[in-house]
Amino acid sequence: MTAVAAATRPVAPADRRAVDRWAGTGALVRVALRVERVRLPVWLVAVVGLTAVSASSEADLFPDAASRAARAELMRSPAAVALGGPGYGLDDYTIGAMVANELGAWVSLALAVMSVLLVVRHLRGAEESGLLEVVRSTPVGRDAPVLAAVVVVTLADLVTGLALAAALVGTGLPAAGALAFGLGCGLVGLTFGATAAVAAQLVAHARTASMLGLAAIGAGFALRAAGDVRAPESGSVLSWLSPFGWSQATRAWVDERWWPLALPVLASAAAFGVAALLAERRDLGDGLLPERPGRAHASGRLTGITAVTLRRLGGALAGWAVGVAALCGLVGVLAREVVQFVEDEPALAAFFPEGSGAAADAALSRYLLVAVALAAAAGVQGVAAARVEEVAGRAAHVLAGPVGRVRWLGAQLAVVLGEVAGAVLLGGLVMGLTAASTLDDPSLVGRLLGAALGQVPALWAVTGVAVLVLGAAPRAFALAWAYLGYVALTAMLGGVLPDGSDLASPLRYTPGMPAEPMDWPAVLVLGALAVSLVSGGVLAFRRRDLLA
Amino acid sequence: MTTDPTTAAEAVAVRGLVKAFGRRRALDGLDLHVREGEVHGFLGPNGAGKSTTIRVLLGLLRADAGEARVLGADPWRDAVALHHHLAYVPGEVDLWPNLTGGEAIDLLGRLRGGLDPRRRADLVERFELDPGVRVRAYSKGNRQKVALVAALAADVRLLVLDEPTSGLDPLMEAEFQRCVREAAAQGRTVLLSSHILAEVEALCERVTIIRAGRAVRSGTLDELRGLTRTAVVVSLRDPDGALAALRAAPGVHDPGHVDGHLRLDVDAEALDDVLALLPRFGVRGVTAHPPTLEDLFLREYGEPVGSPR
Repeated sequence: MTAVAAATRPVAPADRRAVDRWAGTGALVRVALRVERVRLPVWLVAVVGLTAVSASSEADLFPDAASRAARAELMRSPAAVALGGPGYGLDDYTIGAMVANELGAWVSLALAVMSVLLVVRHLRGAEESGLLEVVRSTPVGRDAPVLAAVVVVTLADLVTGLALAAALVGTGLPAAGALAFGLGCGLVGLTFGATAAVAAQLVAHARTASMLGLAAIGAGFALRAAGDVRAPESGSVLSWLSPFGWSQATRAWVDERWWPLALPVLASAAAFGVAALLAERRDLGDGLLPERPGRAHASGRLTGITAVTLRRLGGALAGWAVGVAALCGLVGVLAREVVQFVEDEPALAAFFPEGSGAAADAALSRYLLVAVALAAAAGVQGVAAARVEEVAGRAAHVLAGPVGRVRWLGAQLAVVLGEVAGAVLLGGLVMGLTAASTLDDPSLVGRLLGAALGQVPALWAVTGVAVLVLGAAPRAFALAWAYLGYVALTAMLGGVLPDGSDLASPLRYTPGMPAEPMDWPAVLVLGALAVSLVSGGVLAFRRRDLLA
Repeated sequence: MTTDPTTAAEAVAVRGLVKAFGRRRALDGLDLHVREGEVHGFLGPNGAGKSTTIRVLLGLLRADAGEARVLGADPWRDAVALHHHLAYVPGEVDLWPNLTGGEAIDLLGRLRGGLDPRRRADLVERFELDPGVRVRAYSKGNRQKVALVAALAADVRLLVLDEPTSGLDPLMEAEFQRCVREAAAQGRTVLLSSHILAEVEALCERVTIIRAGRAVRSGTLDELRGLTRTAVVVSLRDPDGALAALRAAPGVHDPGHVDGHLRLDVDAEALDDVLALLPRFGVRGVTAHPPTLEDLFLREYGEPVGSPR
């Protein structure tokens, strides 16, 4: 028996080499790829497929130079610059330039979110659940989990980027631009994945780390938007501070330059280095930022399910509301530029026969839709949180007490539905106040608040779909996220997608106020739909087995 | 590295270990000595610092002060080299939810540098584990079996087990005990942290009891028993006279009537005198039993921290 022979031999530190810190990385990469064998391909197919469909639909929608030139004029507006990109190649708006300008930011955003969630799942998520404790008790180096996450997220982003390039070449776009576009988007994802690796070292909980990573994405997006609005067609310093700006600076399909791709590579390498340094020095399970001590007794306000849900989700939902309000405020501030822009460009007057005010209204209602999509994401997350309670066994704990199922789920849904509606109303109010002051039109406050109110039934309907999935098919909750992705993309990509692609989205049927008038029948039907979806989900939940 | 001859035969040598989390001192000068080839019981109430100690020994936490050696190596600095020679089972096992139990066992084995396929098959059968089920569908006990099979099938010198049987049923508990005895017979060292005192009593040659981050007792079970009192139950013709005499006798604790018998605890060194005193009162029956581990345990924790031994 070798164990006996070895009994008195101490483990020789001579076995110890510098590479020990990385030992086991290969095995961890293989297991991570196995664990992600479904999730990553789904992301890849969704991102690449949607991009390819949008690109070919742009080619159909704008077949000739004249229609593309008209489109380019629209894209010069600050609102479009903020939402899309700096507008390289607007003077000769080819399909490629159009794809880069109007889709690049969104594709990068999707890959950034994918990368943040992936990295946090494999670092802090595994650490929080105790998986890393078992893994690290084997001969696996202290830096190996970070390095494995680097390899996996790099593979995910580069493979997706190359697949994007290949798919776009398949739609007939030039290869050089496709490569610049695909690599650019993939490297944005990688940069935010690396940022998330640092966040995963700083805080003790995976949820907090994900929120930090997503907040970094939001900040990067806002920086680029603000920078590009200040200096369209080149980008100001602010744009150069944002990874989104780096990928767009490749000027895909216009006049490719490759050196900006070095920026995300360097930034990612630096961030991963910091993450590895932090991981090497700290205790497992520990965050660098301290945890607040809590109270030993429940305060008088912690009275029941509603109060617990507020405590659990209040912070996250408030964060979403702040994001919605920030977006709306930015749009309101920019409203003046939209009007100015239309007044300066007589060529655009044809699009807005009612005058430049109509242009502002159109921009405001379009952004309000984006805000609603953001709030719907908060709603689906809130419903997903109820499912987490169930899977973790906390629901069983509560339901074993004198609490009925309808009350348990209903109280949580009331909090979620109330908060998302509040977020959109807050957004409408903020957009109204800012737009009213920049455009000097007090009536906008009331009109935008009304517009936001008109969106609430559609918002609840999207959330209601998630409730229905929770009740009827809880193991397939990914469907709820997929539906949200569909709703959000059709809302954000608006006119780019083929006509009718948003038929299954409630947001298609809401009145586009303030540009369009109130449509009572549509709002009432959507309201009835929302009520049936939510109550159907609750009823189905009452009849089914509890998960786990 | 200088090999200290006195510690060369120690699989685990810990001296004055300190680990603080913020202001809370989880370990406060802990000593722990585990000899090569022994099964060592590691006992303590919740929050005493057992898991913290084990995490330091695995190089997952870095000690603030003190010295720790595992198989002669520094657990933090030489973690990877050391982990080739040990296997760990935590009390709360969490593995990759969408891999099967069998995949998780093989993967942990590969990370440790391979496992014996025959031993793996044998253990899977003995623990009645279905290796084709995904980890997320296992109960707590079955997840623990996955980790146990992976650890016991690994060709390692040291097994570090942190409450490894908290989710197992009595049949599996018995199987676990057989496995630990086999491991010991093969010359492996086992550090077993447990709340199940019967398990520790059945398996461990030596025991360390810790409390508030410090070792309060350490030694063989016999040594620990010798330090404390024997419980004596006597049936007497004149119990009241005996009670009065016993109250006055040195080394007798808490004498009193229980179900018509007289019950008392006697210090080891006073046992001779007390038994000599009893015949005067007409002994009809007597039982005496050494303290169980449970008695030791309760006594250790019944006293305030820092009281003299």
